[in-house]
Amino acid sequence: MKLLVAFVVALALHVGFRAAHLWWVLAACQPLLLVIVASARTHAPTGSAWIGLGAGLALDIASGRIIGPGGISGAAAGAVVGIVVRRFELEGPLFWIVGSLLAAATGEILWFAAVFSLGIVPDHGWLGVLATIAMTAAAGLVVAAGERALRAWRSPERARRRLLRRH
Amino acid sequence: MAVLRLRSDLALVILCVGLYVGAAAQVRNPSGSALGLAVHTAFTPVVIVANAVGSGWDLLWAGERTLYDTVDELGRRRAESEALRRSNQLLTAELAALRQGSQLLARFPSVSEGAVLARVVSRDVVLTHSLLLDRGRADGVALDAAVLAGDGLLGRVDRVSDHGARVQLLTHPAAAAAVRIVGLTIEGLLVGGTEPAITQLPPYTQVEPGTAVVSSGSEGIYLPGLLVGTTLEASTKGLFTIVPVRLAARAPEAMVVLVLPAASKVTP
Repeated sequence: MKLLVAFVVALALHVGFRAAHLWWVLAACQPLLLVIVASARTHAPTGSAWIGLGAGLALDIASGRIIGPGGISGAAAGAVVGIVVRRFELEGPLFWIVGSLLAAATGEILWFAAVFSLGIVPDHGWLGVLATIAMTAAAGLVVAAGERALRAWRSPERARRRLLRRH
Repeated sequence: MAVLRLRSDLALVILCVGLYVGAAAQVRNPSGSALGLAVHTAFTPVVIVANAVGSGWDLLWAGERTLYDTVDELGRRRAESEALRRSNQLLTAELAALRQGSQLLARFPSVSEGAVLARVVSRDVVLTHSLLLDRGRADGVALDAAVLAGDGLLGRVDRVSDHGARVQLLTHPAAAAAVRIVGLTIEGLLVGGTEPAITQLPPYTQVEPGTAVVSSGSEGIYLPGLLVGTTLEASTKGLFTIVPVRLAARAPEAMVVLVLPAASKVTP
């Protein structure tokens, strides 16, 4: 359920980031890829791949591209992220940063591969790939920071400190 | 009934292959996706909100930048305004001085020949009862020359340098002038001080308050007929009638004065 909510929020962000009045660099960010990363925590690599497939297809649809290459690359990205996260037991901020970098890089490379093999002229070049990877990794960093802050806020240590301060 | 069981990973691969084929088909027969349009329509409020946020940020940013610019511009304008204000003050003073000078020349046409218009550089009407002028010997100002303001006689030059002169006002305690009250044939001596008064008039001389007092020229400094002031209530003290005089010229307001040629040089 959480993943579904995250998916919808990420899709909304994906569309919202392309708003004309926002900083144009934000459009390179792919929040849906972070959903794939998030799924790697609770799902097996195959499950993450399925979620990646859905996210990729949603990306294709939302971006007005040919439907398919995004789904394939998303599925591959989900599988890769899932495998790497499990293999290296990534946790904490590293999980988000490495996961988002990996998801963005894998997704973009495979998308390019699929697009080239289909003979389609891609809608962005290498600079776009780099921007996507950078912005998605930056978004991962933000999520990691947010998660850390939330964890610190909810930590039993903080609760104990507050309790001691009251007495 | 046979049940088709498919491994999840295999199903995923098959689906991906299907997607690839579907994508290839789309490339062959390109047509717009209604799904994309639907997604965009569904998320239109998100775009509107994002645009509002971006627009708000743009406005804030532009506002900040404009604020800094405005503050700088305001500082510049204030400095400029201050400079203009000073310049305006100087011009106003200059204009007033010129006007006074012009009035002086118009008021005393008979004595203006050989007279020197001088600007009051500084004044002390409280302690030393004197004015400093910006004209001196080099400009034709001579010692003991009578000095006129627009309303009447101010005093005489008691010190002169090449490019400056000092005027002893009639309010100076040591100042004195031979004067005549209009309507009377007798002369008197105007003695300076904070309350200048005419002395040496015969006792019980009847003087109407408000009568004009003019210089008689007997002391050899002031030309005859220059307005000195008006009389106040006269009184007899001892052997003389004392007539206080309200001086016509107001030294605190004089900016430009007319310095007449010394009486000895002027042919009556």
